[in-house]
Amino acid sequence: MVLVVVSVTWALIRLAPGNFYTGEKALPPAIEQNLRERYGLDRPWYVQYGKTLSNTVRGDFGMSLRYQGQPVNAILRQAVPVSATLGLLAYLLALAVGIVAGTYAALRQNTRLDHASMAIAMVGISVPNFVLGPGLVLLFGLTWYVLPPALWGGPAHLVLPVLTLSAVYMAYIARLSRSGMLEVLRSNYIRTARAKGLPERQILFRHALRGGLLPVVSFSGPALALLLTGTVVVERIFALPGLGNYFINANLNRDEPLIIGIVAFISIVVLIFNLLVDIAYGLIDPRVRY
Amino acid sequence: MVIDGSYRSTESFLYMRMPGLLAAAVLLASGCTTQADNSPYFGKTEAPEGQVMRYIAGSEPESLDPQVSSGQPEARLYVGLYDGLTEYHPETAVAIPSLAERWEPNHDNSEFTFHLRAAQWSNGDAITAHDFVYSLRRGLAPQLASRIAYLAYYIKGAQAYNEGKGKAEDVGIEAVDDHTVRYRLTQAVPYFPGLVAHQFFRPIPRKAIEAHGQAWTQPANIVTSGPFILHTWKPYDHLIFVRNPRYWDAANVKLDRIIFYPLEIATTMMNLFKAGRVDGLYNHIPPAAWIDRLRLTTDHMDKPEAAIDYYQLNTTKPPMSDIRVRKAFNMAIDKAGLAAYQRTIKPLTAFTPEGIFPGYPRPIGDPFDVQRARALLVEAGYRDAGGKYDPSKFPIAEVELTYNTTERNREIAEYVQAQWKQNLGLTVPLKNMEWKTFLDHRAKLEYKGVARSGWVGDYMDPNTFLELFTTRTGDNGTGWYDQTFVDTLKAANRETDPAKRYAMMAQAEKILLDAQPVIPLATTSTNWMKKIYVKGMYANPVTIHPWKFVYIEHDPAKW
Repeated sequence: MVLVVVSVTWALIRLAPGNFYTGEKALPPAIEQNLRERYGLDRPWYVQYGKTLSNTVRGDFGMSLRYQGQPVNAILRQAVPVSATLGLLAYLLALAVGIVAGTYAALRQNTRLDHASMAIAMVGISVPNFVLGPGLVLLFGLTWYVLPPALWGGPAHLVLPVLTLSAVYMAYIARLSRSGMLEVLRSNYIRTARAKGLPERQILFRHALRGGLLPVVSFSGPALALLLTGTVVVERIFALPGLGNYFINANLNRDEPLIIGIVAFISIVVLIFNLLVDIAYGLIDPRVRY
Repeated sequence: MVIDGSYRSTESFLYMRMPGLLAAAVLLASGCTTQADNSPYFGKTEAPEGQVMRYIAGSEPESLDPQVSSGQPEARLYVGLYDGLTEYHPETAVAIPSLAERWEPNHDNSEFTFHLRAAQWSNGDAITAHDFVYSLRRGLAPQLASRIAYLAYYIKGAQAYNEGKGKAEDVGIEAVDDHTVRYRLTQAVPYFPGLVAHQFFRPIPRKAIEAHGQAWTQPANIVTSGPFILHTWKPYDHLIFVRNPRYWDAANVKLDRIIFYPLEIATTMMNLFKAGRVDGLYNHIPPAAWIDRLRLTTDHMDKPEAAIDYYQLNTTKPPMSDIRVRKAFNMAIDKAGLAAYQRTIKPLTAFTPEGIFPGYPRPIGDPFDVQRARALLVEAGYRDAGGKYDPSKFPIAEVELTYNTTERNREIAEYVQAQWKQNLGLTVPLKNMEWKTFLDHRAKLEYKGVARSGWVGDYMDPNTFLELFTTRTGDNGTGWYDQTFVDTLKAANRETDPAKRYAMMAQAEKILLDAQPVIPLATTSTNWMKKIYVKGMYANPVTIHPWKFVYIEHDPAKW
């Protein structure tokens, strides 16, 4: 699967005009020839393609073309923790706030609280992060000067990007858990639980949440995979040294080994998380057994 | 070098798509918090403790090897790490003595002898003439595949060696003794001392390179010759330079530490500057919509620079193969209006920038003249039966205005499009392309009619602009080539009397303007920001700041 993705990516890079060394000044043909020889671009396409595939299988993506002397693996090692920290914190925040708000709203269906939280969630879904991010920067970074408007550093640098990133997920999770809970709360086994006189708290935590949060779980796999592998817009707005930032630049620079490395890494993470979700289903929902 | 118009090719990638909301939000920021207080400064202004400078130099450096990368962001770092025979003057960017105490040319400017001062590498080794020989040969070696090796092609044997046809020993550089280095050139190059300030000619540490290969630029391995050494390098995060105690002029270096943030998005940079998290940033960053407000502050650094905006015309295809059409398109643009609209640039009719080369008798190109433009098109055959100008006769399908996608390029293209529509009745379609696709397209002369272009001088001499047209291919980009032009320019460079040389160069430039393979638009302007407490840093024509002169002034009375 990963090899298919890598192959398609490789072909697409070949189709894009320009090369990693195009830019600045038009190169004399001799200099261009020097570059092609040094990076093996003068070899037949199947040799180059074969090398890409074997690199991928070995998990060593070679040297970046743009960033001289930097192995792609080293770049991944340094960018992944940044994106992962950001993504994980954002997702935990989204889960915490989203599930509480969603469950509350479900329990108090059609009250003002329900309407208010769902309205806020709707706003959260509708406002793109490239509007929310600068908005937060404007208030906290430039008007009150309390938080840094960008850059990577201590915990203070994390606040605005994490908030910006988590808003949409928070809103989705709130809506998903609300509808999930509503469905479950009306189901027969909950009615049975109530009938046997279990306390409401126990019904909620032991029985309802399990079923009610299934939609959240299936949403979590792909969402988490994408969050952990870098979020282009937020990383660029806040100038963070994460995978998303590298990915955009690798594409603009036609930095083939780096593009391939990042694409392969993202596909692996996506596959793993989908697998994890399937496993989690089995654990949470007694009806799913493999 | 070629410039992409925003001077930060990736910057507007995301912002192009972002709705006006964002722009509105950002404008609001400048509106509600700074206009109210009428401060002479932009945003928070508190000098950082100690002699620390925080600067944004542009995108993440490709490499810290000065012979490998060719970009401006890297050049701004190299002046901290590597010293040259000459260094840029902080205010004028003219070459001043650095590792070379003095130098002299031979009778016809084709040989230069530099006398070195006693200086050391950061590891304590002496910097000798042999280091220059090693550095030049390494830079030219075909295996290194340096993209800027062409800068040394003026040196005898350099091109042959770089193309794999000659030997390293035949390159025209010689260590006369430990402290004297001599360059033999293929032609007269009166601006050679200015050229050797370029990163490609700065000496690099042989021992470190031989010991560590490509990893020699890592903080643990690097050896430098400049006022600073590399302390930390975290890609896409920051770089830290600290003072080099072994630098020959260390007593006059004032900063203890420089922190560089690699950034690409202009809004983010302006935010950081406003919040007082950085003390300076590089050129062309403040957006046009803010300029009127920024001009009221002392933080805005705005002077003409050694760079121009122009359009290339594809002279190999009709209708632009007709000189009358080329002239008409040039004369139909109100360039003063463009300058007023863009706020910081200056209108340009010649091909060399205005106000950069003192004493150069710059020729003047055709002025804005709609009547003449139309008359020329009538002459070229675009007229009705009565002999009056008829735009419908013009093969508009054969012309489009191609530019690489940046906000600034789009604004200028839309302005020019409106001018042609208004003044010639011709609606030229606009076509934008991603930077690399665009370069490819333009170099192959595949564009129809008009393509955007820009040029930054590689050294402080009009020749860096005019020499674009001495080859048919490469950055010429127009297909225009005239032997008289080339010969006049060559003759000028052989001339040793500076005034006569300039006069002859101006003649060559006149030939170029008369043939009109290009439409000059503007001399660009530095347009960058610096906090008032940063001293020793000036709006020079190249926006490269020799860091040894820069310091933080903590006493507000001296601001």
